Amino acid sequence: MRLLLVEDNVPLADELAAGLKAQGYAVDWLADGRDAVYQGSVEPYDLIILDLGLPGLPGLDVLAQWRAGGVAVPVLVLTARGSWAERIVGLKAGADDYLSKPFHPEELHLRVQGLLRRARGVANQPTLQAAGLHLDESRQCVRQADTDVQLTAAEFRLLRYFMLHPGQILSKGHLAEHLYDGETERDSNVLEVHVNHLRRKLGRAVIETRRGQGYLFGAGAA
Amino acid sequence: MKSIQGRLSVGLISVLVVVGVAVAQLSLWLFEMGLQRYLEAGLRNESENLVVALVRGPDGLQLDDRRISPAYERPFSGHYFRIDFADAHWRSRSLWDQEFPQPDAVGLHSDLTLGPEGQWLLVLRADYKRLGQALSISVAQDYTPVRDSFQRLQRIGLGMGLAALVLILVLQRLTVKRALRPLERAREQIAQLQQGQRSQLDTQVPVELEPLVAQVNHLLAHTEDSLRRSRHALGNLGHALKTPMAVLFSLVAGERLAGQPALAKALREQLEQIEQRLGRELNRARLAGDALPGELFDCAQELPGLLATLRMIHGEELHISTHQPPGLKLPWDREDLLEVLGNLLDNACKWADSDVRLTLTRRDLGYLIEVDDDGPGIPEPRREAVLNRGARLDEQVSGHGLGLGIVRDIVDAWGGTLELLASPLGGLRVRIGLPPRATDINR
Repeated sequence: MRLLLVEDNVPLADELAAGLKAQGYAVDWLADGRDAVYQGSVEPYDLIILDLGLPGLPGLDVLAQWRAGGVAVPVLVLTARGSWAERIVGLKAGADDYLSKPFHPEELHLRVQGLLRRARGVANQPTLQAAGLHLDESRQCVRQADTDVQLTAAEFRLLRYFMLHPGQILSKGHLAEHLYDGETERDSNVLEVHVNHLRRKLGRAVIETRRGQGYLFGAGAA
Repeated sequence: MKSIQGRLSVGLISVLVVVGVAVAQLSLWLFEMGLQRYLEAGLRNESENLVVALVRGPDGLQLDDRRISPAYERPFSGHYFRIDFADAHWRSRSLWDQEFPQPDAVGLHSDLTLGPEGQWLLVLRADYKRLGQALSISVAQDYTPVRDSFQRLQRIGLGMGLAALVLILVLQRLTVKRALRPLERAREQIAQLQQGQRSQLDTQVPVELEPLVAQVNHLLAHTEDSLRRSRHALGNLGHALKTPMAVLFSLVAGERLAGQPALAKALREQLEQIEQRLGRELNRARLAGDALPGELFDCAQELPGLLATLRMIHGEELHISTHQPPGLKLPWDREDLLEVLGNLLDNACKWADSDVRLTLTRRDLGYLIEVDDDGPGIPEPRREAVLNRGARLDEQVSGHGLGLGIVRDIVDAWGGTLELLASPLGGLRVRIGLPPRATDINR
């Protein structure tokens, strides 16, 4: 899962980025509204966290330009101005959720998690369920047939992406774009290694390889 | 306050009555004086005739009957005389049995009454010397008819004066009403201002009112401007404080304090207190804008946006319904009312299983806002505590306390009531009763 964080307050952005990375998200950070308009519309983000008080261009204008340009990525708005009147304005501009400052980091993580699932049409339950697997995102482990399977951070990230896109063929390039932030070097061999680890832990049938196309998760169960 | 109309009427009446009565009395008196001079001339003539009629007879002085007017012979004819000598006096036959006293001084007198009919007499006494004898002749004429006609004239004058007064008052009232119409219009516009139907007074007014209207408009613009600025400043302050607080929340929850759970807990509690205080105080300060003519809350226009927001936050599967009379407009500030409804509905959505209902009703005395949910509700013994402390009873679902606190501040500022009841849907019903406003267009 790759997120764009647009926040001009550096200490807060550092904190949020660190927290989100610990949750297994790849995070790109921008502080200026004009940069955000551009990058948000060219990079394939899964979710954008947008502060409304931005230098360069106000957050609401950034959001309106994205929506006018056809960017359908879910946007979670962060703002100090938490009145309902302003919340309605924000959601009318195209925000998908609204979090007013100050907030607890867990609250943000829950909202991000919920928004990602909602964008995929998955019901908001305590665990993410797909193909007979139950992924506990807070503990970063997966439950298969009543046994808990521990995952490394990289495996967790990969499995979560697969579980949010069951039954879809995902190419290595696509996976790399959504699992790593803009600064990490993308090596498709690393991806293969992680896929193999997952197969070893959860069984070969969980992830199929479609030659020349990519990987397919949960085909057997679907 | 006395009305201008009343003051004008009282002033006009007193001036008219004082001046009118004085002028009428004075002119009557002058006229009567003139008339008496004229009658005095006649009387003097009569008395001179009597002097001429005094002739020397066989036994001293006697009156020559042929030379005196026959009116002196007919009883109570209205013409009388009396001739006083040093030792005796003669009276005219017309006096019959009445005594006609001699006036004390020479000249005209008008204060004698005489006879069974109470005739008012105008008497002239003049002193002469005739045939070597000093004598005093008093001639009298009945003044009653003149006096009667004067009194009639006075009554007619009084009646006409009263009629004129009434006419003048009516005309004055009409004139004043016409003249004050611009003031009345300005008053109506100020009422509209309070209802939020207009933001400025009409500047097409008479010259006398122009400075007043201009000043009111200036004040309105000034108040609106400073309110906007202070709201803006408050928002900035909030923004400035809240972002660092979000950083602190994140730091407290982070790895670095994981080894100090007691410290982290204390810090987190203090931060939460600051957050609550900040939220409520910002909200309270914002409420100071209530006095300003604001936008009305048009339910049909505002509720869909609010519901869409709530559905987005809480998911589409929650069923949120609203019931209100068509075309309902609530006479309170839009932002404040959105805050009340937003917080109440948000709380209800957090707790509800599947159903949330908002009911707005107009009562004889104000409005009723009811928010129902089918969640677990709050048992009756704990409702009081929730209301009073604004406490969070359940830490897992945040905001129940803070949201209700903000709602209560707003409702208090409006002079309304806030109650927690059991809902027919099974959960909690929050009922807000709002009093009518002095200027309410729905009434």
